[in-house]
Amino acid sequence: MAVMPPPGGPGLPTRNAESDAFDSGRNLLGVDTANDAIDLVQLDDDTMELNMGPQHPSTHGVLRLVLQLDGEVVRECRPDIGFLHTGFEKSFESHTWQQCIPFTDRMDYLAPLFNNLGFSLAAERLLGIEVPMRAQYLRVIMCELTRVASHFLWYGTSALDLGATTPFVYAWREREKLLDINEVVSGVRMHTSFIRVGGLLADVPDEFYALVNEVVRTFPRFIDEYELLITKNPIFMERTRGLGVLTPDDAIAYGATGPTLRGSGIPYDLRKAQPYSAYDHFDFDVPIGSHGDVYDRYLVRMREARESLRIIGQAMANLPGGPVNTSDRKVALPPRNEINTSMESLIHHFKLVTEGFTVPRGQVYQAVESPRGELGFYIVSDGGNRPYRCKVRAPSFSNLSALPHMVHDELIADVVAVIGSIDITLGDVDR
Amino acid sequence: MPEAVIRVHEEFGEVTVYLQAGHLVRAMKLLRDDSAAQYNQPLFVTAVDWPDREPAEPRFDIVYQLRSMQHNDQCRMIVQVPEDAPRVPTLERVFAGMDWHEREAFDLLGIEFVGHHDLHRILLPEDWVGHPLRKDYVSFGEPVAFTHNLEWALPAAERPRDMPGTTR
Amino acid sequence: MGLSVDAATGLPILNAGADAGAIPLPRVGDLERTAAKAGAITTSIEKVIQWGRYSSLWPALFGLACCAIEMMATGAARYDMSRFGCEVFRASPRQADLMIVAGRVSQKMGPVLRQIYDQMPEPKWVISMGACASSGGMFNNYAIIQGVDKVVPVDVYIPGCPPRPEGLLDAVLKLQTKIAAERPSSLRG
Repeated sequence: MAVMPPPGGPGLPTRNAESDAFDSGRNLLGVDTANDAIDLVQLDDDTMELNMGPQHPSTHGVLRLVLQLDGEVVRECRPDIGFLHTGFEKSFESHTWQQCIPFTDRMDYLAPLFNNLGFSLAAERLLGIEVPMRAQYLRVIMCELTRVASHFLWYGTSALDLGATTPFVYAWREREKLLDINEVVSGVRMHTSFIRVGGLLADVPDEFYALVNEVVRTFPRFIDEYELLITKNPIFMERTRGLGVLTPDDAIAYGATGPTLRGSGIPYDLRKAQPYSAYDHFDFDVPIGSHGDVYDRYLVRMREARESLRIIGQAMANLPGGPVNTSDRKVALPPRNEINTSMESLIHHFKLVTEGFTVPRGQVYQAVESPRGELGFYIVSDGGNRPYRCKVRAPSFSNLSALPHMVHDELIADVVAVIGSIDITLGDVDR
Repeated sequence: MPEAVIRVHEEFGEVTVYLQAGHLVRAMKLLRDDSAAQYNQPLFVTAVDWPDREPAEPRFDIVYQLRSMQHNDQCRMIVQVPEDAPRVPTLERVFAGMDWHEREAFDLLGIEFVGHHDLHRILLPEDWVGHPLRKDYVSFGEPVAFTHNLEWALPAAERPRDMPGTTR
Repeated sequence: MGLSVDAATGLPILNAGADAGAIPLPRVGDLERTAAKAGAITTSIEKVIQWGRYSSLWPALFGLACCAIEMMATGAARYDMSRFGCEVFRASPRQADLMIVAGRVSQKMGPVLRQIYDQMPEPKWVISMGACASSGGMFNNYAIIQGVDKVVPVDVYIPGCPPRPEGLLDAVLKLQTKIAAERPSSLRG
C-alpha cells in the first residue's frame, strides 16, 4: 500500500511528538535530523478495520473478530459468532430424553462427558432417582480424565498460537492415551455418550483399571515436562504476563466462570461449592491466580490438571462395586438375561426403546464444573417423553463476552494470546 | 420488594420467583447490591414458549438465573410477557454479561429488550427470518429418503426444483 | 538380450505369443530397460505431474467442529499425516490445494466456505470429513447445511462421527489414487 501525500501536495512537513520520537534513533545512526530532507509525517489518525476469521489458524474454531486498529493497537473488538450454530436447543425439543445424550456430546466437543453429565444430572433430579455409587465414582473418573484431556488439548493449541510447536505434539501424544481409555470403555474415541440418564452406558471392562492406573502414575511427570517447556520460558512470560487482565469485579459482572474466573483470584469451583456426583468424597485443591492475566490462567489450568489426577487416583482406590444403572426399570434398560425370563422386563425394554421414559412436570437448573467453566442445563419438562425446553448455559459464551474488555488497547498479536487463554470452544459458544 | 413479586414457587430444592415486568430493573439491582443477597453473577437469560397458554396466561416465560458466590446460592426470576408485546426492560446496565444473553434471546425467541444498545442477531445470519426456538417455527432439514419419497435419494442436481423442504 | 527382431520394422518382438501379429501394446520395452539399468526412470510427463501433486497435498485449514479435533489428531504424533505429504496446513487458501471440510457447516458459514474454496487456485480437491459435512449428520434441522456438496464439489466423503484418524488417512490415500488416475488439468486439450 503506497503512502500517498495529502491532496493539495505535500506542503510543509508537520513535526509532532510522534515524528520527533524517531529522531533520537536516527541521530544515533548518524543522520543530521535538523537539516535532513526526509521528515516523518503523521498522515491521519483514523482506525483501520480488520476482519480476523472466521477461517483463521488461531481462533480456536470459527470465530470472527472485527477489530478496529490504530496501527497495531486494538481500539475496539467486536466478536461475530454464530458460524457454528447448530440448533441444539431446538433438536432437544424433538428427541426423547435418552436420544438427547449424543447431541449433548457434540456441544462442547473438547470435553464431551461434561455435557452428558449436566444433562443426565438435571434429568435425574426431575425424575427423582438416585444413581448407584459405583456409577457416580465412574462418572467422576471419566469426567476428570476428560478434564485432563481438555487441558492438554488447550495447552497444545494455545502454545501453538504463541509460536511454540513442541508442546502441541507432546500434549497430544498424551491425549491419545486418554482417548484410548475412552475407546476401551465405549468404543468411540471422542463422543462417547458414556454418561446416560440413570447411570452409565455399561460397566467398564477389565482393561480399564490398568490403563487408568497407568495414567495416574505417569501423567504427573508428563505435566512436569510440559511445564519445563514453557512455564519459565522468557519469551512465553514476556508475551503473557500482564496481558488480558480481568479484574475480579469484571469477571463476575460478565458471568465468567472456570479458570477464567479463578485466574482473577476468586476461589469458586462448583465441585466444592455445590458438589454433585460424589465430588464431596474426594480431597482436592482449587488453584487460583492472583493477577487475572493470561499467565495466571495458564498456571491455574496446569495445576487443575494435577488436581484432577489426584481425584482420579482417590476414586480408583475406593471404587465401590455394584450396578452402574439405577434399578428403576422405568428409566434404565433391564439386563439382557432378565428380558428372556420376565414379562415385565420385556415390556419395560420395549417401552424404553420405542417411546422412552417420561419425566414429571417441572423445571430445574443443574450446573457442572467443566474445564471451561460453569456448564449449566436449565430443563423444563411438561411431563412428556421429550424435554419441553432445554437451555444450555454455555461457559464459553459468557467468557467470550468479556473478550472485548480484555483486549482493549492491546496489540493484535496479544489478541491471539488472550483468546487462547480463555479457552473457548465454538461449539459451546454457538450451540 | 414485595410489590414486585407475583408468586414464589419452590421445587427440587430451587426457588423460582415470578416478577412484574415493570419492577424488573429495580428488583435486579436490589438483588445484586443487597448484602444479604449479593446475586451478582448473571448466569443466563432465556425464555420458554408456552403457546397453548394464550389467552388465559401470557405466552412467554422470560427466565433469569443469577448466582451469588458469596452466599453460594442461586435464584431464578421469571417475568411473563404476552405474545403481542414480548418486551422487557434490558438488564445490560445492571450486569455486563446480560448483553449477549439478551441478544441471543432476541435472536432465537424474538423477545425485545427495551433499551439495549445494539439488539441484533447474534447466532443466526443477519437476514434470517423467524425465531427458531418458538414452538410454531418448523425446523426443517431434509427428509430422509425412503421408498415413498425416493426423489430425495437422487443427487441434489437431479431433484425436481420445486420440492418442498429444500433449504436455501 | 535374446529377443528376436522383427524384420520389417527392426524393433524387437516383445509379445511373440498368442497375439503375435495383433496391435502391438506399449510395454516396458528394451529402451526403458536399458535406461533403468543406467539409473534413470522413464515415464510420462502426466504421471510425473500427478505424482508431484498427490504426494504433497497441502491442506487448507478448514476445521470447524469436532472433526477438526480428529484432523489435528491425525496431524499429531501418533497418526502422523505428514508421512503422506500433508506436512503443512496452510492457513491461507491461496497456498493450499486440498480443503478438508471437517465439521458441521452452519447456514452462516456456507458463504464463507464457498469463498475459501473459490480463493484456492487450481488444481484443488475437497474431502468432506465426517457425517455432518457429507450429509448434515445427526443435525437434520434449520441451522445446518445438509451436506457440503450443496456448496462445493467434493472428491472424497468420509463417514463417521467423528471418523477415526485412520479414516482420514484412508481418504487421503484414496484421493491420491484418484489424482494419480486423473489427467493434469493444465495439459488437457
